[in-house]
Amino acid sequence: MWGRELDGIRFTFHLAGINNQNFLMRDEETGTYWQQITGRAVSGPLAGKTLPFVPSDELTFALWKAEEPQGMVLKDVAAYASEYSPKDWDVRMRKAPTVLSYARPGLAPRDVMFGIEAFGAARAFPAVAVSQKKLVLDHVGGEPVMLVVGPDDQSVRAFRVRLAGAAGPIDFYRVLPASPPGSPAPGAALMIDSATGSKWDFSGCAIEGPRKGACLEHVRTIRDYWFDWRHYHPDTTVFGIAHQ
Amino acid sequence: MAERATPISNRRTVWGVVLATCLAVSAFCLIYPVYVIRPFRHQGVREFAAALLVLRFRQPVDVLCVLVTVAAAVLYWRNRPRLLARIAAIAGTIGVIAFSALSRVNIYELMFHPLGQPAFLAASNSKLDGDEHVIAVKIGGAARAYPIRSISYHHIVNDVVGGVPIVATY
Repeated sequence: MWGRELDGIRFTFHLAGINNQNFLMRDEETGTYWQQITGRAVSGPLAGKTLPFVPSDELTFALWKAEEPQGMVLKDVAAYASEYSPKDWDVRMRKAPTVLSYARPGLAPRDVMFGIEAFGAARAFPAVAVSQKKLVLDHVGGEPVMLVVGPDDQSVRAFRVRLAGAAGPIDFYRVLPASPPGSPAPGAALMIDSATGSKWDFSGCAIEGPRKGACLEHVRTIRDYWFDWRHYHPDTTVFGIAHQ
Repeated sequence: MAERATPISNRRTVWGVVLATCLAVSAFCLIYPVYVIRPFRHQGVREFAAALLVLRFRQPVDVLCVLVTVAAAVLYWRNRPRLLARIAAIAGTIGVIAFSALSRVNIYELMFHPLGQPAFLAASNSKLDGDEHVIAVKIGGAARAYPIRSISYHHIVNDVVGGVPIVATY
């Protein structure tokens, strides 16, 4: 997700090619070619520039709708809707070939990861581990970071675990949501912190307890295949996998 | 028996070579980028940069090729080549024009139709399944969701959210 205004030019982008499993786009206004994954211009009049980053979340529709009841959803284009991926496309894609591998013991090319690039480092968290544990406390680039599965049991967010006035590390614990999965209640308590016992919701804000009103900083995480994440982050470490 | 090379046949050869060169150049400009930049193929850094250069300059190169080809074909024709050679000259000229025309086609947008102007539904009116994944954005108080099922097809949505022009990509 990128801003499309730079140096006073508002770009209109077109699909211009597929490059190592990500795609290339070209803006109508200058004819520059941009890489989708990095937002960087790789060829043309604006080569070397980077588009402004826009943070986004990957969530289930039900969870997003509960958080943003006034939100707007992109409409399908009727003419092409039959060509859209079926719901289980990411299951089928697991069997698709890859041009790059980076396979390692315990890491298949199309294993799904939650990738975090922040604080000067890159770290990949296998989706299977995150889904099982529901809440992972770890570090990226020396900063304490938490990944937590939402009340819908599918969406994942990452936060920087820094609380003003707290010395030393803080543990977070995920609590069982009060409502059954599939009916996420917005603002329901999802986590408790060990420092103060405050209750926090999936948006990273404390809704009860001494910390009520405080919000944790979101850390961007993207859902990606292992081979793709590793290709663009050669120095990445992997949660749960030791390195030589 | 071999003919003595005459001035006429020399000129024919020159224009014939020019025509053939233009055919090769326009074919290369069409095929090379699509060959390099395609799904499921690993691209080296240099060949990728080369393919992008071809993409950027092929339209003016094609226009030049078409003009030179038509002139060369006319001049070739004037030097009275045999029937087969005339047919080849016509075929070559049509080839250059065809390759140049095809180069203007964006095959990726043929495969994945662009979304064009995006339209939106209020969340409460959407018939999307609860467990469908969306990419969610919130800017200036405006919340938007892009279902992965559709943006993984269109790949690009040029949009404006909360007054900020953005491009949603997947």
